[in-house]
Amino acid sequence: MHFNDITIKSFHDSLKNGEFKALEVVRELFDKIKKEDVKIHSFLTLLEEEAVEQAERVDLDLASGKNISILSGVPLAIKDNMLIEGSRATAGSRILENYVSSYDATVVGKLKKEGAIFLGKTNMDEFAMGSSTENSAFGVTRNPYDLERVPGGSSGGSVAAVAANFALGAFGSDTGGSIREPAAFCGVVGFKPTYGSVSRFGLIAMASSLDQIGPFAKTVEDAEILFDAVRGEDPFDATSVKKDFFPENDLKKIKELRIGLPKEYFIDGLSADVKNGVEEAIAKLKTLGFKFKEISLPHTKYALSVYYIIMPAEVSANLARFDGIRYDRIKDISESKNGRSMLQEIYFKNRGERFGAEVRRRILLGTFVLSAGYYDAYYAKAQKVRQLVRNDFDEAFKKVDVILTPVTATSAFKIGEKADDPLAMYLSDIFTIPVNLAGLPGISIPVKKYEIGGKELPIGFQLIGKHFREADIFGIGKQYEKI
Amino acid sequence: MLKKKDLEKLAELARMDLDGKGEEKLLKDLDKILDYFGELKEANTEGIVPMAGGTASENIFREDSADLNVDKNKAIEAFPENSGGYLKVPPVF
Repeated sequence: MHFNDITIKSFHDSLKNGEFKALEVVRELFDKIKKEDVKIHSFLTLLEEEAVEQAERVDLDLASGKNISILSGVPLAIKDNMLIEGSRATAGSRILENYVSSYDATVVGKLKKEGAIFLGKTNMDEFAMGSSTENSAFGVTRNPYDLERVPGGSSGGSVAAVAANFALGAFGSDTGGSIREPAAFCGVVGFKPTYGSVSRFGLIAMASSLDQIGPFAKTVEDAEILFDAVRGEDPFDATSVKKDFFPENDLKKIKELRIGLPKEYFIDGLSADVKNGVEEAIAKLKTLGFKFKEISLPHTKYALSVYYIIMPAEVSANLARFDGIRYDRIKDISESKNGRSMLQEIYFKNRGERFGAEVRRRILLGTFVLSAGYYDAYYAKAQKVRQLVRNDFDEAFKKVDVILTPVTATSAFKIGEKADDPLAMYLSDIFTIPVNLAGLPGISIPVKKYEIGGKELPIGFQLIGKHFREADIFGIGKQYEKI
Repeated sequence: MLKKKDLEKLAELARMDLDGKGEEKLLKDLDKILDYFGELKEANTEGIVPMAGGTASENIFREDSADLNVDKNKAIEAFPENSGGYLKVPPVF
């Protein structure tokens, strides 16, 4: 079977028409994964037995003439920071190496109800902290377009699983760009919904005022299908909001959407291939009749600093729960030293030995910006500038409906290139971070269809919408990919 | 400039052993990052209300009832050590 050209939409039609059985697809995909994922390393855990059972259920439903949902039998990959009952959830960390979840994340439960199939759990930067998936405690994931390069991160395993045609779609989480940056690096669509659109219950929290769950897919249409299946209010996540979602299919209305180009995003630091790629996307949208307007988001330059104060502060609080008592623990701690109590000894040792370098760095940074004497200068100041960043978007959205920007300043970088320089790594996310700070929806769309083994590395462009106006960016995106 | 002493204090607050190696690099990295944050000083935030995040600004209430559908036995099984339906923790005193 050729998985390259199959989308969720076409898969559903073929399955209903009896062109193949769900079980055949699952068997073939596991063969492919076992053969090819040795090189890429997108999966940490395979869920073959469960996937086969679910495929058999879908085939039975079809055979008995039942109506199946659009996601029935669709093979998906799930980032390893989302819980599937009875399966390991490591979040890419040693400290959760043996943790098995006892319940489903809300997103996972919704997908199960739709009949989707989970192939496995995917690799990620430890606790989603990174832009390259080099920070996983279980090894790096490679970019299917060039095995010497990173797939981006932190949702690198999920994106690679879609790019390598192991899965028709995947889910990741995006705190500062962890869905959109890897999507751009691997030539797939990656979507971060509005903060509050999708429940995070059962997502291992990194920075709670920023985290959102979202899909990876081959097309904008598929991303919309996946989003529609998981969105909605959830009593177990008080930040989730009840909002209606109406896909915008009226072409005339879509064409009337005004697109803004923020001058602060088209900077000298853009590499030539990204600049050309984004210009190509703009030119194509112009031929479709879209009108563009230059806008300004003057506080953009502060976004990175704001993010790297607020996020570590929340990280230092969220990761306090990993104490060496719950989840998983080092077994042989029998005596305390330095005058500590046994309890302290357990905390210090588990956290010191089992968190990786980047996680430790962010916990220390977060502890620093929240500590007495520094709180006002760093954390409180960052919260105020965060409001200024959001105000910029509010002002801009009075003049335009959607904003178009690059996703990254360069295409996928080489493995190891930025591993020793945290600040250089942090700069990978300058175009995606402001969207999280303001809580807006953003999508990364490949400029064109790229071929694995071809000469080009993928480039993406980003569409940013108003709060809860996911329909606008999907609408434009779907028009774009029809060209 | 952060000193080694400051780093040890932070690690103490974060309940986390430093690993004894790479601390110089860690200090240098943290300094570089904190130095970068210096740019925020020039941003005029007079009269700006701090943004705590989120998109909804109303309180959300629910009934004070237990409705989480987690199997108690599975929750106990997920704990690193358990015995006879109880969670087992190391001696902490």
